[in-house]
Amino acid sequence: MSRPALLRGLRAAVTVTGGAALSLLLGITVAEVVGRYVFGTSLLGAEDLAMMCLAVFVAAGLVGAAEDGGHVSVDLIGRLAGPRVTRVTDALARLLATGATALTAFALFAKGRCGLECGEVTGTIDIVHTPFYYALGASMTAYALLLASGTVGGREPDWREEGESGERRG
Amino acid sequence: MGGGTAALLGFLALFVLFLIRVPVGLSMLISGAAGIALLRPRATLPVIAGEAFSVSSWHALTVIPLFMLMGNLTVVSGMSRELYVAANRWLGRFRGGLAAASIVGCAGFSALSGSSLAAALTMGRMALPEMRRYRYDRSLAAGAVAAGGTLGILIPPSAGLVLYGILTEQSIGRLFMAGLLPGILLMLFFVLTVFIVVTLRPDKAPRAAPSRPRGEPTPTLAGAYWILSLAVVTLGGIYAGVFSATEAAGVGAFLVLLVALARRSLTPDALGDVVFSTLKACGTVFLILIGAYVFKVFLGYTEVPFAAARWVGEQGWSGGQVVFGLLGMFIVLGTFMDAFAILVLMIPLVQPILASLGVDMIWLGVMIVITLEMGLISPPMGLITFVVKGVAPDVPMGAIYRGIIPFWVSMLALLVLIGLLPQIATLLPEAMYG
Repeated sequence: MSRPALLRGLRAAVTVTGGAALSLLLGITVAEVVGRYVFGTSLLGAEDLAMMCLAVFVAAGLVGAAEDGGHVSVDLIGRLAGPRVTRVTDALARLLATGATALTAFALFAKGRCGLECGEVTGTIDIVHTPFYYALGASMTAYALLLASGTVGGREPDWREEGESGERRG
Repeated sequence: MGGGTAALLGFLALFVLFLIRVPVGLSMLISGAAGIALLRPRATLPVIAGEAFSVSSWHALTVIPLFMLMGNLTVVSGMSRELYVAANRWLGRFRGGLAAASIVGCAGFSALSGSSLAAALTMGRMALPEMRRYRYDRSLAAGAVAAGGTLGILIPPSAGLVLYGILTEQSIGRLFMAGLLPGILLMLFFVLTVFIVVTLRPDKAPRAAPSRPRGEPTPTLAGAYWILSLAVVTLGGIYAGVFSATEAAGVGAFLVLLVALARRSLTPDALGDVVFSTLKACGTVFLILIGAYVFKVFLGYTEVPFAAARWVGEQGWSGGQVVFGLLGMFIVLGTFMDAFAILVLMIPLVQPILASLGVDMIWLGVMIVITLEMGLISPPMGLITFVVKGVAPDVPMGAIYRGIIPFWVSMLALLVLIGLLPQIATLLPEAMYG
């Protein structure tokens, strides 16, 4: 499969997963209000469910933002140095960012594995945190792979004027 | 290694990482993790994983995607355009009216979206081509859109106030109410700024947009009916104690979804765009939050916040003096750092100091958010200026910054006014909660 096709697939997967989590989060929040005012009762474990939906949504969002070059970085060096220097600093930045995301992914998988034994469950209906740690770990792994493959990071913003600095996304 | 030295090295590493264009969230994560590894090596991995998970599953933060969803649905449903058209009908007949209308449009959009960037992007796409058509000075046009966009972080629902409330353990509903009057006042200041600019420099805007065609009805608020109703339901619901901020976000997003469905504007493609835009915006915010929380843990290990609080206490400064210095520092930081990153990094550092001096944290929250707004349009890193640049690529950054200056000054004027009259921020929350 070609790289554009892979990226399209990744974006579609992220949109579907994130959309499902967001829909559920929206549904739970509205149901909680309706339950309280219409039926005079509160939805058991609504907060726990909402929290886990948020975790899945964030996991999808981290990859979505990475795939679309949405993570904010400061472009001061573009003003201070020429392209020869920025090529080197961009490579270093990508290396560090890849290391950080890979380390975070490893930490999430390692901590998430413990789950119930370590008391990693939600407060009301005891949803085990493990799959949600894994979702975040998978998301960070995907971000690390995107960085390592050079798909994101080190790109010049297309609007950039000569000698200007600013924010960029990568 | 002492805590002070470690903190200094941590901040130094952070700025080097910023400088070489490592994403802001990852810069904080890397320097925070390295600092923790230096001070308490065995805590490094558990802290990274623990903070990443707890930020990503923090119930109070569910308000952010829900309000962002509401904002994105508002655009798709066409309500944001209707608001701009309605504002234009009212203000377009005056010199500079289109610029004023874009500010009012941003303010209205901000009432349904907590994001400054979304407000600037949405209104910029509509207002900048329109102002270009009527030969507005490009710096005034860009300045008005950029300044209007900043209202998104002050007018509730505001993602900035949500984060501040979480960090300082203040009521988010109370903070939303505190932001309302200053937000409206700032909108009026901006509109006034436009009229002052075009009065002093009539060449900046044409005399007026063409007069209303014969037979066209007198301007009303009808076009903005939906957006205003939804703002009243969500903010009114919080004010009346019917909803929490999270519930207001959920109910608001659900109602906008119904409107979009009823108007048949939510095609499968549009739905995909709405979801992906919300995902992307939230992914950006949450990466910054994760990084900032790891860095915050590192700072806690250095014990620098408490040492700083002790040191300030020994100097005998008043609360007003400390707040004044703090806001100055926030303005400077805002020129090159992300608003959320500043909040997460600085608030835990300064909260012990401010608490010991008896500063009203609700009032302070509004003041801080205004300074962060100023940072959003300040060179060299004002995020909103780059959004405007993205919408109008042919306008040089220099022209955008020139256009922003009068609005920046009006923000400073509001900051001073709220400093002198704290009731502007505290009146509504006190009326609501006592």
